[in-house]
Amino acid sequence: MELLNVNIPNWSDMGNWIPEAVLCVGFLVALIGDMVTRGKKPVVPFVISVFALVTAGSYAVAGLNNPGLAAGLPIMGDLVVVDGLAAFFRILFIFAGLATVLFAWTSEEIMGRKRENKGEFYALILMMTAAMMVMAEARDILMLFLSMEAVGLVSYVMAGYMRTSLRSTEASLKYVLFGAVSSAIMLYGLSLLYGMTGAMDFAGIRAALVSGPVNGFALLVVVVMIIAGMSYKIAAVPFHYWCPDIYEGAPTPVSAIFSVGPKAAGFALMIRFFYTTLAAGPDAAASVGIIHIINWPLLIAVISAVTMTYGNLVALRQSNVKRMLAYSSIAHVGYLLMGFLLLTPAGLQAILFYLLVYTLMNLGAFFFVVAINNHLKSEELDDYVGLGFRTPWAASMMVVFLASLTGIPPFAGFIGKFYLFTAVLDKEWFWLAILAALNSVVGLYYYFKVVKAMFFTTPLEGADTSPLKLHWLQYTVLAVLAIPTLVLGLYWGQFKDLADQAIAAMTVGF
Amino acid sequence: MTSDLVFILLALLTIVPAVWVVFSPNIVHAGFALLFTLFGVAGLYAYMGADFIAVTQMMVYIGGVLVLVLFTVMMTRVPLGKRANYGLDRFVPAGVLSLAVFGLLYKSITSVDWGAGHTEAVPTVAEIGTNFMTNYIFPFEYVSLVLLAAMIGAAILIREEKFSEDEPENGETEVQS
Repeated sequence: MELLNVNIPNWSDMGNWIPEAVLCVGFLVALIGDMVTRGKKPVVPFVISVFALVTAGSYAVAGLNNPGLAAGLPIMGDLVVVDGLAAFFRILFIFAGLATVLFAWTSEEIMGRKRENKGEFYALILMMTAAMMVMAEARDILMLFLSMEAVGLVSYVMAGYMRTSLRSTEASLKYVLFGAVSSAIMLYGLSLLYGMTGAMDFAGIRAALVSGPVNGFALLVVVVMIIAGMSYKIAAVPFHYWCPDIYEGAPTPVSAIFSVGPKAAGFALMIRFFYTTLAAGPDAAASVGIIHIINWPLLIAVISAVTMTYGNLVALRQSNVKRMLAYSSIAHVGYLLMGFLLLTPAGLQAILFYLLVYTLMNLGAFFFVVAINNHLKSEELDDYVGLGFRTPWAASMMVVFLASLTGIPPFAGFIGKFYLFTAVLDKEWFWLAILAALNSVVGLYYYFKVVKAMFFTTPLEGADTSPLKLHWLQYTVLAVLAIPTLVLGLYWGQFKDLADQAIAAMTVGF
Repeated sequence: MTSDLVFILLALLTIVPAVWVVFSPNIVHAGFALLFTLFGVAGLYAYMGADFIAVTQMMVYIGGVLVLVLFTVMMTRVPLGKRANYGLDRFVPAGVLSLAVFGLLYKSITSVDWGAGHTEAVPTVAEIGTNFMTNYIFPFEYVSLVLLAAMIGAAILIREEKFSEDEPENGETEVQS
């Protein structure tokens, strides 16, 4: 047999993949820990998962200083790579995973007396975090699809985690069905792309597109199909239908990580896939040609405009805070997509920085809903009346998150939006910038409906006004999210540099 | 000429039962029609010289998935032979959308030069095996983790519910399981 044409895997590559490996091992150990204690002591898998996430996080942070990052470090063959982009995103995912694990520990929806499978929950979050990290590292169609399915499979289970709740079960089923359909569409597109280019790795696809004659019509169909699959992951219109129902039905800590993790992973994947195959490269002239044939920026601009407008307008009408946050997360995807169509490094850097800020503020807002749900068993806006006086500290932090989501200075959300808007204006997409500004005003209205309910509306006669006492862990996690949301609005240079470095290797030309 | 005839037969074996799957009012009939479709697809793979995929298609889809589908139909006790009668309001939009998608795909598939030469069919199993252990070892190992997570997920979702306390929680609809 001929063995000349194969790469014998190099185990020393695993040294650059320690964070993911730690999480995968943690996943197995947490399961075993749960099994040994017969599921009666969820604290065992909880501690194991916190330990795994902290270990993985410290390795991921240390990995930022790896000099090989700029060129990209392939792991066991050429299918996944750890480069600046992956190094940035894996820290983001580990942070989101850790915050979710800590908050889930205090959530009645996960840890309530009647709940089962408490241990498996923590194991699955580890697996989900690892899968999202692989999504940000994939540079081959095969790994692209596998990692997306891995995130999907774990998500379906976590959405249906409250098995006794009809809404949760419905959410899970809807997630599976929508996921299957969008995966099928994307896979069909990918198979056509493989047929056209004869390559599975992004670089090979790019080389084939640049060298060969490109059939514009077929390429457009392919790109639309692939965008369809990825829009499902980030919940962009018209593939957003699952999003509000699933965020509302799933346990709130799960909705929190859904609204941040898979979306950020989807963006990482989209940036790597589209910028490697269509845009970035040493031969910028050819890229302009390909982009021109299918008018890719306009396609994304339309999706972005529709997504942000739809998300904001529908969020206006919501009376359930969790559902409102779901629509608001759709709107934020619209803002993020603005940076995606520009084909400039500045646009991508703005996306990364905004995702960082968005992770903090959106997790915070969802976690506040978790904490309140523990006491009130409700997410209705009417029940939030008077919360500002019942739990002043937590409610004040919620105001920080909401103001930041709106994009008011001096909060981090403003800086994030500022970078996005300047990038958009630089490329003279004026109509898009104006639309986004108008949308931000709409956002102001519905975010501050919550603030108004908490602080300014007088509670009804006989309403419960007793103070609520939150778990100390909840105060801690909320503060860990709220303080950076404030500080990043005043001092953001280092974190912006981090985002800039992550993109540095991605974009050449333009 | 003979090979074209084989292809046409295999294509018919795939398409005709597929139409039956979609339009049959009886879900068990649809399930059995799916058997022929999947068999036809396996035949197409074999026709193109992809021997390993053809065998996998037979074993996984016909041997596993299809049997599971039929079992599920039996266990969930769907009323046999009856199906909701959908009017034109369902068929027309679905038909228009399907035709539009078909048109787009047809145009893009026919307009691309696929550049595929006719190559001699060679056995692929050994080469696939070698690749699994070398070039593609990463996805090979990764998939095993993903499948483990999927199995655990399935176990979580279907595990028998044991209620230790009786009072239902507020704000949550209870399902009898």
